[in-house]
Amino acid sequence: MYIEAKALVKQFGLRTIVNNMDVSIQANEIIAIIGPNGAGKSTMLEMLIGLQKPSSGTIWYWDSGFKGKIGVQLQAVPFFPALSAMENLLLFASFYKKSISKEEAMNCLEICGIQDAAHTEAVKLSGGQQKRLAIAVAIMHEPTLIFLDEPTAALDPRNRQDIHNLMLELQQQGKTIVFTSHDMDEVHQLATRVLVIDHGKIIAAGEPAELCNKYDAASLTQLYMKLTREDESYA
Amino acid sequence: MLKVQLRSMLVTSLRDKITLFYSLLLPIVLMFGLAIYIDKPEQQLRIICGITAISTVFWGMQGIAFQVHWQRSRGVYKLLKLTPMPLMQFIAVMIVARTVIGVAMNWSIWLIGMLSFGMKLTAWSIGLTLLVIVIGTICFTSIGFVIANAARNEAQINMLSNLLQMPMIFMSSAFYSLNGAPDWVAFVGRLLPFEHYTNLISTMQSAGSSISILSLIVLVLYIMIAILIASITFRWDTNQLMLKSSTA
Repeated sequence: MYIEAKALVKQFGLRTIVNNMDVSIQANEIIAIIGPNGAGKSTMLEMLIGLQKPSSGTIWYWDSGFKGKIGVQLQAVPFFPALSAMENLLLFASFYKKSISKEEAMNCLEICGIQDAAHTEAVKLSGGQQKRLAIAVAIMHEPTLIFLDEPTAALDPRNRQDIHNLMLELQQQGKTIVFTSHDMDEVHQLATRVLVIDHGKIIAAGEPAELCNKYDAASLTQLYMKLTREDESYA
Repeated sequence: MLKVQLRSMLVTSLRDKITLFYSLLLPIVLMFGLAIYIDKPEQQLRIICGITAISTVFWGMQGIAFQVHWQRSRGVYKLLKLTPMPLMQFIAVMIVARTVIGVAMNWSIWLIGMLSFGMKLTAWSIGLTLLVIVIGTICFTSIGFVIANAARNEAQINMLSNLLQMPMIFMSSAFYSLNGAPDWVAFVGRLLPFEHYTNLISTMQSAGSSISILSLIVLVLYIMIAILIASITFRWDTNQLMLKSSTA
């Protein structure tokens, strides 16, 4: 097991964003976190990666030096202005205490399909290219655990498919991936386990097919509509 | 790895054309513009030293404040927090990089001025001026960090920088004597680092002149206080409140 979080709570003032969540991340999984906007997906993710401190609850990590062994792509794509894609990659590698050559950096950009933009200023890249560069930053130090926050949001179908292929390839290499998404087809295609979150709680968890069977849904989209609709009717 | 970081920070600073314009080109143009109307060597020397000091202030304060703001608003620090890289190391690298460029620029401005106006240069004045410029650049860069933490956007950076720079410059004896000024103006001026910085640069110009220990102490004190405030008030992202725990 890589991460085990118990009874996680996150409050901002009087608002409870994450309410008593238990989450565990096992090796070689692709976990999809789905749920409506504002459900608490990103907040939960940010707590798991150590960006936000839980108001209460505990998070156990498999390694005390886990920071150097996780890769993260955040929703906002942060790069150093005035530096090219290649320069940003080399700089971020140094933050992970990893010395990579220009050839290795180029190889990483090639894996993510942005080798042509290697010498373009990172902040001037297109949205899709920036997303790919953010993923390159997340994987260039060869992390064991990779967190991707909406990795394919606002990408065209070809870019989206490329990212899907990359995620599957990373899983085959033994990596564990946790990602958030609003695209149910993508979740169905990639995830080995799905966590459905709404109103700060995990309302369903399991393999995609298992969940569809359990809730008598023909697809994940139907399951999503059903669970979130049912949840709203309680409110 | 430190080499990569230092190189990247140097490149980032050197590609910041607007700050380079304000800190290098504008001071040189200003220096020549002012000095050609003045014949007296002591007045020309005052202008050379004053302009060098202004250039240090612009580069140090606004330059670093805008750089930190850009990086923070783009979420760079948020991502940095997820890496094993200690924050203080990153800040130190950034200060070193900016200090190296700042010192090179300001020393060049001073040298250009001294040579162009036929001022006497000695090994003593060249060496000590370099030392003073290093201390001054670190001092104003540290203050710039505090401004970057206090400001929420670019407009606030400009506002806060002007709020500090204007009184510092106008209440100093960088360009004119404060002998005829009210006592309180001279008193406030002496409390601010700019007066001590210009005092140090201008007294370095005669061979054998002794360095003002008081001015040096004031600059070092400002460096220590500013670095302390900058580390306490550091924000990982723009939405985080100042003085709130950095892990929140």
